[in-house]
Amino acid sequence: MRFVLTKIGLLLLTLWAAVTLNFLLPRLMPGSPADAALAKLAQNGPVSPATKAAIEAQLGVPTGSMFDQYLQYLGNVATFDFGVSYTFFPQPVAGLVAAALPWTLVLVGLVTIIAFIFGTLLGVLAAWKRGTWLDTLPTVGGTFASAFPYFWTALLLLFFLGYVAGWFPTSGAYGRGTTPEFSAAFLLDAIYHAILPATTILITSLGGWILGMRSTMINTLGDDYVTFAEANGLKPRTVAIRYAARNAILPNLTSFGLALGGVVGGSLLVERVFAYPGVGYLLYTAVTNQDFPLMQALFLIITISVLLANFIVDILYGILDPRTRR
Amino acid sequence: MSATDTEAPAATLLSVQNLSVVYEPTGGEPVHAVSGATFDLGRGDFVGLVGESGSGKSTLGFALTGLSKPPARVGGGSILFNGVDIAGMSSEDLRVQRQGGFAMVLQSGMNALNPVRSIRNHFYDIFAAHGHIGRGEREARAIELVGKVELPAGVLDRFSGELSGGMRQRVSIALALSLEPQLMIFDEPTTALDVLVQHAVMNTIRELQKSEGFTAVLISHDLGMVLEVTERVMVMHNGLIVEDRPAADVLASPQHPYTRMLLSHYGDPRAEIVEVPGLAARGPKRAPEVSHLKTDFVPVSAEARARAAGTEGVQRREGRAAREAIVVSNVSKIYPPPRRGEKPVRAVNDVSFTLEPGASMALVGASGSGKSTIAKMITGVEHPTSGTITFGDLQVDRIKRRSLKRLHTEVQMVFQDPYSALNPLHTVEYTLTRPIVNFSKLRGRDARRRMLELLETVGLTPVEQFAARLPHQLSGGQRQRVVIARALASDPQVIIADEPVSMLDVSLRAGVLALLDSLRETWGVSMLYITHDLLSARLVTDQIMVLNQGAVVEEGATASVLQNPRDEYTIRLLDAIPHPTTPTPEHN
Repeated sequence: MRFVLTKIGLLLLTLWAAVTLNFLLPRLMPGSPADAALAKLAQNGPVSPATKAAIEAQLGVPTGSMFDQYLQYLGNVATFDFGVSYTFFPQPVAGLVAAALPWTLVLVGLVTIIAFIFGTLLGVLAAWKRGTWLDTLPTVGGTFASAFPYFWTALLLLFFLGYVAGWFPTSGAYGRGTTPEFSAAFLLDAIYHAILPATTILITSLGGWILGMRSTMINTLGDDYVTFAEANGLKPRTVAIRYAARNAILPNLTSFGLALGGVVGGSLLVERVFAYPGVGYLLYTAVTNQDFPLMQALFLIITISVLLANFIVDILYGILDPRTRR
Repeated sequence: MSATDTEAPAATLLSVQNLSVVYEPTGGEPVHAVSGATFDLGRGDFVGLVGESGSGKSTLGFALTGLSKPPARVGGGSILFNGVDIAGMSSEDLRVQRQGGFAMVLQSGMNALNPVRSIRNHFYDIFAAHGHIGRGEREARAIELVGKVELPAGVLDRFSGELSGGMRQRVSIALALSLEPQLMIFDEPTTALDVLVQHAVMNTIRELQKSEGFTAVLISHDLGMVLEVTERVMVMHNGLIVEDRPAADVLASPQHPYTRMLLSHYGDPRAEIVEVPGLAARGPKRAPEVSHLKTDFVPVSAEARARAAGTEGVQRREGRAAREAIVVSNVSKIYPPPRRGEKPVRAVNDVSFTLEPGASMALVGASGSGKSTIAKMITGVEHPTSGTITFGDLQVDRIKRRSLKRLHTEVQMVFQDPYSALNPLHTVEYTLTRPIVNFSKLRGRDARRRMLELLETVGLTPVEQFAARLPHQLSGGQRQRVVIARALASDPQVIIADEPVSMLDVSLRAGVLALLDSLRETWGVSMLYITHDLLSARLVTDQIMVLNQGAVVEEGATASVLQNPRDEYTIRLLDAIPHPTTPTPEHN
């Protein structure tokens, strides 16, 4: 229990540090968004005081001391008030992020977890049946598939299965005519749209999990406790799962934590190729349009998701490895 | 051939006929690790299987319990267990046989337990695999089993990481016992343990063998211990069983030269004269003459010494100011508590001594007694919490980075494990030339000449051949000689040898010890010899300090301290040494 409390304390501390950095970094840069906009306008000739006032009113100029600003900022973060987006003016940033987040979490998050589970199982099998086709097929196949870049696999699938064969939609998260709602028809439509991007992520990430698990499992298979378990006549399945695999999975949890943390931010290319309305696509839009409020909120979300993922993995470690519980 | 032949066949539990085990590495020549092994084991026998590393003793032990794994494979012959050949049995048949059949306790009991599974689950896994203990009786049976190895029921809730080495090995024995085996094979069951713990675990094994009545095979490199514990001894050498006779006969009249050689390396550190091939110590002062050498030790020839006298090293030494003593006064080292809420660890407690130039002092104690911490403080790796250490004008206890190089020119370490102390990617030449270049002004051909001299000093001749080798092409003894040569490269005044022979085979130990000893004569190096092995301490040191829990409990001239030990701890250490030559009465 104390272990969990310590980890929660650490999480809160790092969260605070991340939020504070997110506040400080833009303020350490010279000027303000309004200055940037005015400077751009000034290139085309003098800016009238009225325009200047209008822009400053629209974008906001910092008032009060740094500390007051900080308190105000903390209050805004706590109430999910991240300001108004430039690109989608006058929509609030919070609403945009809230709309994009579920798509990414469900698509990329779920697929990452599925890839980890399947890859690990295949890796266990490959190490246990080392030298047989159960080893060769996933190992060679996994290496081959993960050697392709993300977007290249995506484009191949898109072209052949989406465009040429026409089996799957080529863009979006749901059909053009439909609006998001909780109905069986919409859910099926969403799943139908998610198949191609999901397959892309699965194909490219599965190989890494297989290879990682296989090599750590081969190591633990040589450990003394595995030999001793065999000497004590434990059933092969028990030896493979509870002795070898159980220990082999521990180092892979760290990579799993990193992958989970990257779910929110790392799906940019896939979402871009499939025009999938997730966080990655939103970030892409924000960056290309210099939409600072949106970017800042997205960076914060990405940081927080990395922290949360690491927290989950820390807790998982605590459950799986008694040595970390001290 | 042996005593068991005369017994009724029904009394035979295991009959091994012409067994051979082959190693078939992929892409390599097959190697016969065991060939033509033929012997019988009667019910209730306690048999020792002795040999040095690479003799095939463990390979044979694994084959007997059906655990040979690729690249090892039973190449021929039969293993009749209760009349049934288990050599060609399918793995599932073999697995079922283990309950009530044969069990094995592994060498490294430290790692024989699954770190993420509680001890209780280890027992339950075995019960579940064989179904011989019902769900309702599991708990009681597990408690009974750990009780048999003298552990409290509380260990069942622990994980292996929370247990000491001795406790882990006891748990392993209890787990093997839970199979209710007729045959138990112990593969070096106490090797990784501390001396006193070794003794206690071995006593437990002896008592269990008597009370449970299983047939036991004790595999060990330590002929002394095997002779003390078992009734019959098989000696293995290069994959062959070269001797198989009752223990008393082996002791009284060893037949095979190899057995005789092994036996010659045992001695009682308390005796008036202690002698092993190549080394001798007697009386309060060590013998000046070294008896004839039978081991692989190549003595430093008179010629080599004369040449060495004309070399850079000795000239440098002669040109330098007087040799200096290491003075340790009132040194304590306190480590912060390992976990919150625990007490700080007092590793070293008010230790004082002086290592005079050219002297040789033993630092003796069980693991955790603080002897390695003292070595770390003398080499400036750790700083003492209080007290001072001086070496000449160097204030070692507060040494700064800049003076560290000077200290390391004069004080060098020889480590315990020659297998991990050398970088496997570098040749001997590179390993030795690096410190020569670092510590002296020698470069190029001069540095190379010096490197070859070092090899000659440590007896690795022909030097040109050894210079070109990589660590894996050297035996353990040869590697340790390279480690010693590396320590000599800076032409140090002091060598700190931390258990330099404990990882080596018995037959190689004397050679390395004789080399360390001769360095004092030829190079005038003083030595701090850290060990738990009192026999070797007697052979190579004049002074001795016995440490217990960080404090000095006894000190004085090595011979007189060992002959008249006053402290109870020293006496226990002495009693824990197996004495094949003087069979000891039963310990309790």
